[in-house]
Amino acid sequence: MKVYGSKSAPVTMEIFTDYQCPTCGAFFEQTLRPMINDYVASGKVYVIHHDFPLQMHAYSGQAARWANAAAEVGQFETVEAALYDNQAAWTASGNLEKYVSAAMPSKDFERVKKIMDPCAAPGPVDAPTGIAPSPHPCAIDNYIIQDIQLGMKVPVTGTPTFVFYHKGQKYPATSGMISWPILKTFVDSLLSQ
Amino acid sequence: MAEAKKSSAMGLLLELARVALVVTFLVAAYAKMKPQTAMPWSLASIKTSLSMFAMGVDSYQLLSPGAVNFVAHWLPPFELFLALWLLSGKFLKLSSLVTTLLLGGFIAVQIRSFSLHQEISCGCFGPGERIGPVSLLRDALFVALAIAVFVGALRSGPKRADTDAVGAATVA
Repeated sequence: MKVYGSKSAPVTMEIFTDYQCPTCGAFFEQTLRPMINDYVASGKVYVIHHDFPLQMHAYSGQAARWANAAAEVGQFETVEAALYDNQAAWTASGNLEKYVSAAMPSKDFERVKKIMDPCAAPGPVDAPTGIAPSPHPCAIDNYIIQDIQLGMKVPVTGTPTFVFYHKGQKYPATSGMISWPILKTFVDSLLSQ
Repeated sequence: MAEAKKSSAMGLLLELARVALVVTFLVAAYAKMKPQTAMPWSLASIKTSLSMFAMGVDSYQLLSPGAVNFVAHWLPPFELFLALWLLSGKFLKLSSLVTTLLLGGFIAVQIRSFSLHQEISCGCFGPGERIGPVSLLRDALFVALAIAVFVGALRSGPKRADTDAVGAATVA
């Protein structure tokens, strides 16, 4: 599962991102990270991550595969952080494996590599999934496709897009770079209800 | 006579433009402040709605958090005030000038956002409407209406001497 925090938190945030999207990178570093360290850690917010790789980004589909494979072995948080922390580097080189392997113990990475073995497929990105077709069945693609289908229902028209839930109410989706103080004010207004 | 009819028709059109702007601002203020879910109206729900609008303002990435909060919490009530001011017709030159400047500012930031390929919501009438050709054309129309009302207000000052002479000749 690609989640942060406790499911029992009063506020849930579903977020749709593309690992190669610069705005998503800025959002993770400047907004999501402080929120995870503060409001998620204190049990106020539960974050659910969904992948929405955009066709314009050559490696975002592959990055989503690595993140999902890492989630299978319980290393999603460290890999997501590694992907965003090094976004500029792997966007230029296409070498995601280097940063994913450095983010976890070697035995966990061996397990991730095994999951990823059938999924390595350089080539043009497939429309509309935003991921390159795999020569062999790639089980984790199903998670990404599910996320994309969920995103299309929102609808996600750009990344990052996020949706908040509180007391059974679903709030309209918001897109773009939102600073932590502004997002915090919104979450506080929900918590005060 | 024809001049008088033309003037009367133009006056009616400008009144309609003014009413259109009144309705626009009333709808805009309401959409930003109303509960964004099935929750009932309350101070808490308005606070949440304005915080949601603040996220929309922040997504333009133009202002500091302090400025974003100020704009987000004061713009909707100001839109309501502007609607009532336009409706009253008092100091129309000033109210229509303020309207023109405000709407001109809105469309300028939208054009900037669109040119930067920011995939964000306009925020004009609440969340959910992406900035694009439709929102830009619509808001350009509003600016045009505001300019028309302002120009009409400027021209409706003291009558010119030649117009009075034509009117007097027609009566005679």
